[in-house]
Amino acid sequence: MHISDGVLPISVTLGTGVASLAVAAWSVRKTASEDLPKVAVMTSAFFVASLINVPLGPTSVHLLIPGLVGILLGPSAFLAILIGLLLQSLLFQFGGITALGANALMMGLPAVVCGLLFSKLRGKTRKRNAIVGGLIGGGGTLLAASILALLLATAGEDFLGVMKLALLAHLPVFVVESLVTGFTVSFLFRVKPELLEQRFGTPPPTDH
Amino acid sequence: MSEAHIIQLPLFIFWAGVALLAGSWWLALWTFKSILRDEHKPQPQRDWSVPTVDTAADGDSPFHHWDVRFKLVALLGFAFLVVATRSPWSALIAIFLAFAAVLLARLPLGRSLRRLLAMSGFLSMFLLVMPLTAAVHPGDTLLVFGGWDWFSFNLRGLQLALAVVGKACAVALLMEPLLATASLARTIEGLTRLGVPEKVGQMILLAYRYTFVFLEEAHRMAVGMQVRGFRRRTSLETLRVMGNFLGMLFVRSFERTHRVYAAMQARGYQGRFPAPFCFKVTVGDWLHASLWLVLGVGLLIFDRLGLG
Repeated sequence: MHISDGVLPISVTLGTGVASLAVAAWSVRKTASEDLPKVAVMTSAFFVASLINVPLGPTSVHLLIPGLVGILLGPSAFLAILIGLLLQSLLFQFGGITALGANALMMGLPAVVCGLLFSKLRGKTRKRNAIVGGLIGGGGTLLAASILALLLATAGEDFLGVMKLALLAHLPVFVVESLVTGFTVSFLFRVKPELLEQRFGTPPPTDH
Repeated sequence: MSEAHIIQLPLFIFWAGVALLAGSWWLALWTFKSILRDEHKPQPQRDWSVPTVDTAADGDSPFHHWDVRFKLVALLGFAFLVVATRSPWSALIAIFLAFAAVLLARLPLGRSLRRLLAMSGFLSMFLLVMPLTAAVHPGDTLLVFGGWDWFSFNLRGLQLALAVVGKACAVALLMEPLLATASLARTIEGLTRLGVPEKVGQMILLAYRYTFVFLEEAHRMAVGMQVRGFRRRTSLETLRVMGNFLGMLFVRSFERTHRVYAAMQARGYQGRFPAPFCFKVTVGDWLHASLWLVLGVGLLIFDRLGLG
């Protein structure tokens, strides 16, 4: 779930905007400059992935995948998510342009944390990779939901009801997200393990 | 609780309200959808890998002739000023101004409506939840229906929700005049000249372009899965297949990143895109930009003086 325009007080809107710019600058510095175009292309892949609906009982949820972005991109994840959100307000729904900073923090910080945790904990076997990936994928969603709650809380006590509802809505997403992330990591471990290394510098496979 | 005004209303008003809400919600959705359906009829097989945002970029209107840099600063500034307002009345005025911008820019209404439609679920949730959950302050007006003490409808909550919804709609309406009245490359070039790092601008352009390529790819993969008999259900198996699907999408895009980069280098990419745009600032640009900022500041003053 995203925060829409006009929910947060103006001070928080501006503050999160500045904070997300700072983190984005850090993220750019952490990315080798010849890798930036590649991160951009991966951003579009994540963006498309986040449009996919997963059926859940009578309704469906769409994936947020902050954990997965972090697992694959490491520190570049924040930049990727900021650009992804910008694309979202360019292309599809939502204005969301004034809440961009808040949304980028909400999704981007968990992604960076997830990437760090995954590279520390992933271990060597496929099973361990998948389980750690799944837990981190779910954890990323949980962290995003907590930041959302925190931001909504700054909007005042009137928004507590909305905050509770938003947290509740994240619970099923949490389960789905963990499972899907676990399966994706397991698949990538078998098919293309170097993607899980969070490095872009690897030379392309020579396919002549 | 004790100092709030409580207005007791008979129960039938509550049910009438619910019916009215549901009815108008359904009617609005239906109207939106029928407008959108009409707009989409002539193109049954569209190539999803072709970008769409700047289809109206060649139009002829004050917004198309406006220097991109001034447009970005003025409309974004206006959006932030709108967001800073508090009362639903200021939000309503902002919606009128934004809608006037859409009309003045001579843009097809469908795309703006689609933006509103995409937000409608979230915003109607907001409208329903806020009046029921807003904290009760002294001086609030509560509506209580048919003696249900636990179920009070806080008018101040409704007011808050209306303000939020109004501001969100106003900003969403502004997006089309802001972004669809120049080609994206031009808008990004404007952003670069305003101080956004060139590399980031390039990333936005690349990400934008490849989003459509991957949409097409994901679409193709989904068709392939359906042909092989995959049906989405609420089951672990579905999630496993989804996980593999995402994994495959990432593997393909990762390999594509290398090919794209190699192709860019082969064409002489050295960290810059050629930008064949010249910007010429006219007095009109300044006037147009100041007009929007003055409108925004005026709106904020109107809001804060409590006239609304």
